Amino acid sequence: MKWSGYNNLEELGESDDESLDSLKRRIILAALVVLVFVALIFSRLWFLQIYKGDEYRARADNNRVRVSEIAAPRGNILDRKEREMVTNRPSFNVVLVREDSNDVDTLIKELAQALSLDISDMWDKLREAEGKPRHLPIRLVEDVDWATLAYVENHNHNFPGIRIEATPARVYHYDNVAAHAIGYLGEISKKELAARNSAVYSGGDLIGKMGLERLHEKDLRGEKGSNSSEVNARGFEQQLLKNIAPLPGNDIQLTLDAILQQVAEELMGAGDKAGAVVAMEVKTGRMLVLASNPVLPLNQFVGGISHKNWNALLENSKHPLINKVVQAMYPPGSTYKMMTAMAGLATGVITPETVFYCPGHYYFGNRRYHCWKRGGHGAVNLKRAISESCDVYFYQVGLRSGVDNLAKMANKFGLGVKSGIDIEHEKGGLTPTKAWKLKRHNQKWQEGETLSVAIGQGFNLVTPLQICLMTATIANGGTQYKPQIIEKITDPDGHVISQFEPIITSQLGGEKVFLKQIRDGMKEVVQGKRGTARKVRIKGMTIAGKTGTAQVVRLKQYKHLKEEDIPYKYRDHAWFTCYAPADDPEIAVTVLVEHGLHGGSSAGPVARAIMAEYFAERLALAAEEEKKTKE
Amino acid sequence: MFRIDRRYFHDFDWGLLLLLFVISGMALMNLYSASYPPSPYGIPPYLKQCYLFLMGGMGILFILCFDYTELHFWNYPFYIFIILLLAFVLVAGNSAGGAQRWINLGLFKLQPSELAKLMLVVTLASYYSRKDEDEGYGLREMVTPVLLTGLPFILILKQPDLGTALMLGIIFVSMTIFAKVRWQTYAVGIGLGGAAGVFAWFNLLRPYQKRRIETLLDPGKDPMGQGYQILQSKIAVGSGGVGGKGYLEGTQGHLHFLPERHTDFAFSVWGEEWGFSGSLFFLIAYFSLLIWGLYAAMTARDRFGVFLAFGVVMLIFWQAVINLLMILGFLPVVGIPLPLVSYGGSSLLTTLLALGILMNVRMRRFQTGQNLNMEKVKLK
Repeated sequence: MKWSGYNNLEELGESDDESLDSLKRRIILAALVVLVFVALIFSRLWFLQIYKGDEYRARADNNRVRVSEIAAPRGNILDRKEREMVTNRPSFNVVLVREDSNDVDTLIKELAQALSLDISDMWDKLREAEGKPRHLPIRLVEDVDWATLAYVENHNHNFPGIRIEATPARVYHYDNVAAHAIGYLGEISKKELAARNSAVYSGGDLIGKMGLERLHEKDLRGEKGSNSSEVNARGFEQQLLKNIAPLPGNDIQLTLDAILQQVAEELMGAGDKAGAVVAMEVKTGRMLVLASNPVLPLNQFVGGISHKNWNALLENSKHPLINKVVQAMYPPGSTYKMMTAMAGLATGVITPETVFYCPGHYYFGNRRYHCWKRGGHGAVNLKRAISESCDVYFYQVGLRSGVDNLAKMANKFGLGVKSGIDIEHEKGGLTPTKAWKLKRHNQKWQEGETLSVAIGQGFNLVTPLQICLMTATIANGGTQYKPQIIEKITDPDGHVISQFEPIITSQLGGEKVFLKQIRDGMKEVVQGKRGTARKVRIKGMTIAGKTGTAQVVRLKQYKHLKEEDIPYKYRDHAWFTCYAPADDPEIAVTVLVEHGLHGGSSAGPVARAIMAEYFAERLALAAEEEKKTKE
Repeated sequence: MFRIDRRYFHDFDWGLLLLLFVISGMALMNLYSASYPPSPYGIPPYLKQCYLFLMGGMGILFILCFDYTELHFWNYPFYIFIILLLAFVLVAGNSAGGAQRWINLGLFKLQPSELAKLMLVVTLASYYSRKDEDEGYGLREMVTPVLLTGLPFILILKQPDLGTALMLGIIFVSMTIFAKVRWQTYAVGIGLGGAAGVFAWFNLLRPYQKRRIETLLDPGKDPMGQGYQILQSKIAVGSGGVGGKGYLEGTQGHLHFLPERHTDFAFSVWGEEWGFSGSLFFLIAYFSLLIWGLYAAMTARDRFGVFLAFGVVMLIFWQAVINLLMILGFLPVVGIPLPLVSYGGSSLLTTLLALGILMNVRMRRFQTGQNLNMEKVKLK
């Protein structure tokens, strides 16, 4: 073999030694290069594993551990007889896990087509979820029906990334009964989420938006459970690491009576009436009925209300979103006359025996003030004045007492004062005084205005709840109870967390001796021969009450019209408030029918039905006994 | 031809062998974890790798039987054979991922480009050891090595296998600088290399290759692609912390967050499970082998031995550095394995054969080249 490059062996030997040495010197340099890279790699390892070790460890856990929340069943809501009003049922939502889908756009299109759903709603939900982790399910359609559920389950291979998720949803056993008091749930908004503890709430949670559901969110919501599972890079669960069962919310028992509430709402609804019905126990302050019509369609809120339905609620001229029991104010009309009478008696300007003559009108200043009865009532005393609601009588009592005394008395009975009931946005009403007018309108009080106030018109404004409280205070002899709607709150183990206790807010002083005269007058309203609410009578029971008409407008152009021909929105509001039994009062009922014209005819029957229902058993028993004694 | 002498047992570098055993043991252990839980189909990777280690061991024994100077001759048929294989895979090779790289041999798929790296080391060692220039090589002397490197380089680039092609270039550059070139040659080389790089960027690189490089510059740009792999590797290594998560306890690897976890990213698995301390231990062993290889070059008896040993060390060193820097997030995903550690038959066999040559150089360090050569020449 001949090695190319070598001319002869001697030359090879000579040059070899020298060049070999210089080569070997360069190896040292090479070793240095190696060490430089080793140092680089070691320092990088130190940086990643020690300096940033904790951070990367957290990221690795974040990669592998997926925590999915389990919604807690909300507490149930029961009525005073422990009838279930609101409980939970499983609701099925169609959710999308973006991570499991490689083409979300096409998927959504196909899904919308298959289920014939509105695609823009789904796009909105997707857009809201942008920026959230891709493994978190996004609710596309909430609370789907069985047909949709079955379709999605059977065709899930067609929709990769689409899953069915079960969450508790509200069931309303009495439909929309007490809807305003109970309220509804909705998905937590970004604003609400920001204001709340992020350990408790997360996006997509349901939260009380109104009524008890909102005010007692803390009691009702319970504690979420969670599943921590290990997942691989494709998102498939490998094993369950930890499971924490959810803790159901506390049950709330209301003082409300579902059946009475139902009666009230149905009667109001039957005539398509707008208004409020309030009933309470006069000796405790327990509220039995808090009805506001038109009712809220609670079931529309389950799984999120649609824009269409929400707009319909907003645009409804009868304002179903307003809880008319506490959020709407009306002139009290003739129901205020008890206050005028009380003020007159308390200031001593009249006695029960004082008689005023009513010719059907009263002159004051250079104006003629009418009595509702154009023919006049003749000579009237207090009892007749209340039972026949004589305006002329109360004009004079009001004038003699003065407007400030009227207001003072009204306030003692809860008019013009917030009651503090457990319902949001309660209005306080208005009991006008001279000082108020000066401050509010910068005008001096006109004595003529006192005449309007004395019969419950003019500046006067009250809520139906206030009239009911006033009635209860008259009935129970002068004690103001705080209106309450919660009987008790019970935790999931059955321990009672809070129990109803009557709370007295105020008591009348010496003037309470005059209440008897007022009550006699009110009894005459229903039981008397010429009372304005004779239609309300129930056989076997004495009822005391007062009708009222609250003027909406005073327009000349409608004066000559028959009542039925006046446009709906200009018709007077009708009041009826009462208590029973008249001799030993238990409950007070107040009904307001917006634009209902006459208290006796439109509001009275609703109150009557509630009392009939409330005393049904006793009335039946009494009727039976009467039958027996006859035999 | 067979010169098995008792002296060789004495001169054999048992320490080098022991180090190789230690590293191979850790590598196999890691491979078991990286492919855990074992797939029920076929031979599990760690077992295949065991067989290949045995095959490579036999290859080392075979190489040790000959004096390394024989490679001056065998180099030519070896070179031609590899070029033919490279041409063959281009025409009839198995393709995967849009690249044609393999010839299926049953137990493993032969990747001629891996063998080409060793071939280039031997070829250049042979050339430079015979061409001795005190002043360093001029441009004229560089024509032959550039052509010898260029031919396999272009064939591999055609597959396309950018990583391996670049490795050939790096081997060429390291060995050429080591052999000493004139500064004019440097200037021309850098100029031509730069021009070729710019040309390649605009004309030769495929979109995915460009993306890899872009991703390195801005990993956030493509978090689900190349950036994702690098990020997951950094998370794996970083989450190992000081002491690691424990053998077979790595979550990044076992839950598939780590891509290519038994091939290119095998060391990420080690880093995750053994932490900083384990990584340090492993890398000290690994780089000791390379420093030991450089020591073998120092003690080689002739220029050819020096160049061979140096070339083998560079072959392993640059692959290791590129692989580790990639795993640690300093380099783009180029598909260079960590020799001895990454799963892959061709790479492992090539590395073991290369180490066989290194051991050969070391074992025959005391026989003077002159004597041997003269003997051989005299025999003729």
